[in-house]
Amino acid sequence: MVDFARVQKELQECNRDFEVSGIRVVPNGEANLAHLLGTIPGPLGTPYEGGTFKIDITLPDGYPFEPPKMRFATKVWHPNISSQSGAICLDILKDQWSPALTLKTALLSVQALLSAPEPDDPQDAVVAQQYLRDYQTFVGTARYWTEAFAMISSLGVEEKVQKLVEMGFPEALVRSTLESVGGDENLALEKLCST
Amino acid sequence: MQNQDGHVVESGTETITSTKASEIEDWANFRDDDILQQQSAIQAEEAGKIPFVGDKEPLSSLAAEYKSGNPILVEKINVLTEQYAAIRRTRGDGNCFFRSFMFAYLEHILQTQDRAEVDRITANVEQCRKTLLSLGYAEFTFEDFFALFLEQLESVLSGTEASISHDELVQRSRDQSISDYVVMFFRFITSGEIRKRSEFFEPFVQGLTNTSVEQFCKSSVEPMGEESDHVHITALSDALGVPIRIVYLDRSCDDKGSVSVNHHDFTPAACQVTNANSCATQAAKPFINLLYRPGHYDILYPK
Repeated sequence: MVDFARVQKELQECNRDFEVSGIRVVPNGEANLAHLLGTIPGPLGTPYEGGTFKIDITLPDGYPFEPPKMRFATKVWHPNISSQSGAICLDILKDQWSPALTLKTALLSVQALLSAPEPDDPQDAVVAQQYLRDYQTFVGTARYWTEAFAMISSLGVEEKVQKLVEMGFPEALVRSTLESVGGDENLALEKLCST
Repeated sequence: MQNQDGHVVESGTETITSTKASEIEDWANFRDDDILQQQSAIQAEEAGKIPFVGDKEPLSSLAAEYKSGNPILVEKINVLTEQYAAIRRTRGDGNCFFRSFMFAYLEHILQTQDRAEVDRITANVEQCRKTLLSLGYAEFTFEDFFALFLEQLESVLSGTEASISHDELVQRSRDQSISDYVVMFFRFITSGEIRKRSEFFEPFVQGLTNTSVEQFCKSSVEPMGEESDHVHITALSDALGVPIRIVYLDRSCDDKGSVSVNHHDFTPAACQVTNANSCATQAAKPFINLLYRPGHYDILYPK
């Protein structure tokens, strides 16, 4: 059984210093706290700068004894992240997990992984080989993917917010609703109308 | 889907050019889920063999285990039998030191009803809480584990509504939702003590793993299932002020071939300086006795 009381505290704690960390965790859709959506900003000075990356988080029954399952929902070009499934190769999400860690510290580690790829321990062999053999092309591809997948969606969000606000919903509510449904405009509208 | 197909073709051409790459491709298909699943399968298999904390067995059961084994070990068990009456085995899941300590300590309190000791250790636990806060741990990461340990401590004292019997203590030690929380509590205590006195522990940590104290705590203390070494034992004993005796059962013997059983007493640092109230050594002899065989700890009962 997931320790939901703890998860609740974690969400509060994490979102309280969003201004500083840029890292956010919100429930994903249903009232069930076992499925969450995290967002991390791409680190400055990397090909991921300026991008906002969504991380799909599932909490196993044994949480916090078992690690949260994390997967990039935003497509990303990185040696330790699958370019197809978004699977992340990171020790603290496996055997180095500890209940002393939190969703926020885990997301910070994922963010640090964006800054410091480890191509010798790859999740995506194709990306890793490109990183090792042709670094410039790697940077170019990673940058292109960031612009194509991690920025449009965040630009898109602003448009959706504007649209829904024009329909007469309060902006704060629009934003939190959009977040909670993972940015789907139609779902957000449906939810806004039903509350 | 199109993207995925495109990608497969791309990686297909890669694999033709290099066999090494195809091996890496296979590894890439190993998802974290698969690894974790295999891990929990192994754990489940291990769980079938022995509970977290076993039943008390006469020491002869240990002798039976080595009946046709190494003569030095057989001889050492004979020597052990002179001083110790029984053994209680714990599961070899990497948490055996903490689990052994948990049971041995709570059982000691249950049997002695030593309220002074409970008050003393409660004060130390409070100190540890402050240590963790000052080290920057968020309270919600450790408060549940602290609360659960203090609850167990309370419950082994008689005369309250929460009081439990010896049988129930055994049951709770086998209940993952209690046992693992207490183990994790000790991991927090141990990590906090090592970080707080990082200058003292640094050379020992370097000797063991050649990493920084910070990294050691993150990778070898705080994750469940990471085995304990003398650094962990020293830190836990110091932090809680509880002396621990470790009896070593290994194949070592002196030059003449005569056999004796070595032990080492971990005496809390606070007790060595003064005989302050912060430690539990009014009696010089530790009341926690653990048997160490390379890679594993069990509980020993003196005669």
